Amino acid sequence: MNNCKNEVKKRKFKFNEDYFWGYVFIAVALAVFAMFTLYPVISAFIISFQEFKPLGSQWIGLENYAGLLKDKLFGKSIVNTVTYTVFSVPVSLFISFIIAVMIYPLKKSLQTFFKAIYYLPVVASGVALSVVWLWIFDPMPQGILNTIIGWFGISNQNWLGSSNTAMLSLLLMSWLSSHGTSIIIYLAALLGIPDSFFESADLDGATFIKKLRYIIIPLLKPTTLFLLVTGIIGSFQVFMNAYMMTGGGPNNATTMVGLLIFNNAFKYSKFGIAAAQSLVLAAIIAVISIFQFKVLGDDVEY
Amino acid sequence: MKKFSRITSLMLALVMIVGLAAACGNSNNAANSSSAASTNSASGNTSAETDTVTALLPPVSATYQDNFNKFSKDFNTKYPNLTLKIEPASWEDMTQKLDVQVNAGSPPDIAFIGADGISKYVDTGLLMNIKDIATADMISDFDEGPLNYMKNGDGLYGFPAYMEIHAIGGNKQYLEQAGIDYKSIQQNGWTFDQFRDAIKKGVVKEGNATKRYGFVFACAGVAAKDYLSIMVKSAGMPSSFTNDLKYAYTSKNYLELLKELRTLIDDGSMPKELSSVDAGKRWNMFLTGQTMITGKGLATFENSANKNNAKIDAKDGSAVKDSIKVDYIVLPIPSFAGAQAVSTPAVDGYVTFRGKNEPTKAHVDNVVKAAYYMASGEVAAMTNNDLFVAHITKSANEAAKSMKIDRNPDNETAVQNMLKIAAPARPDIPTDLGAKAIKIEDEVIIPKFQALLANEITPEDMYKAVKEAAVAAFGEDGIVKD
Repeated sequence: MNNCKNEVKKRKFKFNEDYFWGYVFIAVALAVFAMFTLYPVISAFIISFQEFKPLGSQWIGLENYAGLLKDKLFGKSIVNTVTYTVFSVPVSLFISFIIAVMIYPLKKSLQTFFKAIYYLPVVASGVALSVVWLWIFDPMPQGILNTIIGWFGISNQNWLGSSNTAMLSLLLMSWLSSHGTSIIIYLAALLGIPDSFFESADLDGATFIKKLRYIIIPLLKPTTLFLLVTGIIGSFQVFMNAYMMTGGGPNNATTMVGLLIFNNAFKYSKFGIAAAQSLVLAAIIAVISIFQFKVLGDDVEY
Repeated sequence: MKKFSRITSLMLALVMIVGLAAACGNSNNAANSSSAASTNSASGNTSAETDTVTALLPPVSATYQDNFNKFSKDFNTKYPNLTLKIEPASWEDMTQKLDVQVNAGSPPDIAFIGADGISKYVDTGLLMNIKDIATADMISDFDEGPLNYMKNGDGLYGFPAYMEIHAIGGNKQYLEQAGIDYKSIQQNGWTFDQFRDAIKKGVVKEGNATKRYGFVFACAGVAAKDYLSIMVKSAGMPSSFTNDLKYAYTSKNYLELLKELRTLIDDGSMPKELSSVDAGKRWNMFLTGQTMITGKGLATFENSANKNNAKIDAKDGSAVKDSIKVDYIVLPIPSFAGAQAVSTPAVDGYVTFRGKNEPTKAHVDNVVKAAYYMASGEVAAMTNNDLFVAHITKSANEAAKSMKIDRNPDNETAVQNMLKIAAPARPDIPTDLGAKAIKIEDEVIIPKFQALLANEITPEDMYKAVKEAAVAAFGEDGIVKD
């Protein structure tokens, strides 16, 4: 038995020539990962226990983390981020799903056309898109969105300048843009469903709704789970929208954790606090992702 | 064949790794351009030896960055052993680029920033105190007021480039139509009540819709800070701390100011959407005749308005869409709550940094020479003329004599009048108190003021929140009680 184990061990560590080439190629990715992900994460972890100063940081233990517990703004930013995520991700996913289902029956050329159209905003710069949205949310009566609501007799709104509408404006922005990637992934998954399933359903006289309920939705569950998890991770890290559109205001109504981290690090040079906030955010994201896999991933077949 | 493909694969992998390393190497070099100079200098140069001084500079004026080669060349002619290496940056990137370099411990030798940023960098320990390095001739060339803004505690951390006044600006034609004697206001200033009446007269309505506002100030996002910080100086609080270092914004005048600023919106003289009006929007509103007065106003706006007027005359398509010809009139900030008017100076300049390694005396001397060269003489004269701002060195005044600028003399006089009542520098405010005041400003004042402008809270609510934060930060004895 022991001999057998040793043999397995020996086999495990035997340096096959083919492995060498594998290691060579992994080395590139590993170097990139180590340099741009692992090293910054380890550095952030160390800095989170320090009062960072370029000429010599001071070790202050858990002070940065303790400060977060008392920091009302950090609490508010977590609430804002959760609110944004809860209302943004599911609605965006639903819209992407509907659009993908609508594109699916089209001819291949038309599918490609619509995929390109919907993917176009992903290629555009986020800053440029934000400028367009600022134009749309112009608070004066002649602003684009205000003109549209004016047709229905609604008076002009101070979209980004009022606490009542600022978060809604950011959500509107997320609902109406950046569906490209989700649509393409959903379409790829839809095209992976064997035609025979739909043919059988047709023979049984299934309606579109029944096909949706019994074929499409169950078979797209792994895709939905993937998009949900990555969507929530991305949403928790949201920064650009708040930074460009509202700066976190008014009255911190749109201050997200990402923006707060950025401000602490690059506006106030409080890298220790920013690092602690980043790691707390990473922990929250990890817990939520694990929870999602546990709850939603149980009956998912890959 | 198999062997060939393996060798090719290995080469490709190596190219990728080398490329990656090279990319990192490049970025480091770019970020740490000053460290080369610092290291050079650390090796013990004398001032006669060659040395490189690095500078990170934004587009201070429209033609400033176009002249970098000339600046470097002229500097090298003056000091043949020295090289001035200028790294240009956009205004948007400036702070972030500088912060990254400072926090990496390798800042440029010189950077152009606002004097209000000095305290932040003093805290890093990387700002270089040049008090004992700058020669008496250099110091005596500068006006005392702006030079004091480059001080923090006992230290002098660079030279000022200019002292600009943050004021407001009016449309001459509309001011005259409203019967406002702007020349008298430029001379004598105005009170809040006079200002309130004047901007009411500037409002033009079509039915229920306002076609033109009396006054529009950029208040979107953090610009709200500008509005309040400019106005508060004329409400008896020229600094966030009194001379005996008590936090000033708990004064009753502060509440009075908040009420008066809210009144201007409630009157309909300012748009109710003010909290979303950004700098670009309000300038557009000014040029398209949608407001009589705009803020904040800088002297250079006269230049911008003149340029747009010329484009309209020439039927140039690049003129602002739907704009009208505007004669820009510089106006002072009104006084609030019966206090004396105090204008807000904005002093920007060339601050001096050191790297992680202790620089040599020779290098420090060379950095000071370069900073003085940029802040005085011909360079300052050209830049300040471009910006329509007053010269603050004798040498720039002298150099500017041969340079012509087309400027409204009334505006020039108005700016000179405001310079006389500019808030003085406060280098005596300790860094820790200053940092606490900035924290209150960022976490309480700006958010609450945004909410006040959006009519979501009352002036009393905001005053209460500021007072609570001030008591928490400075204690009951550390704040003004009147």
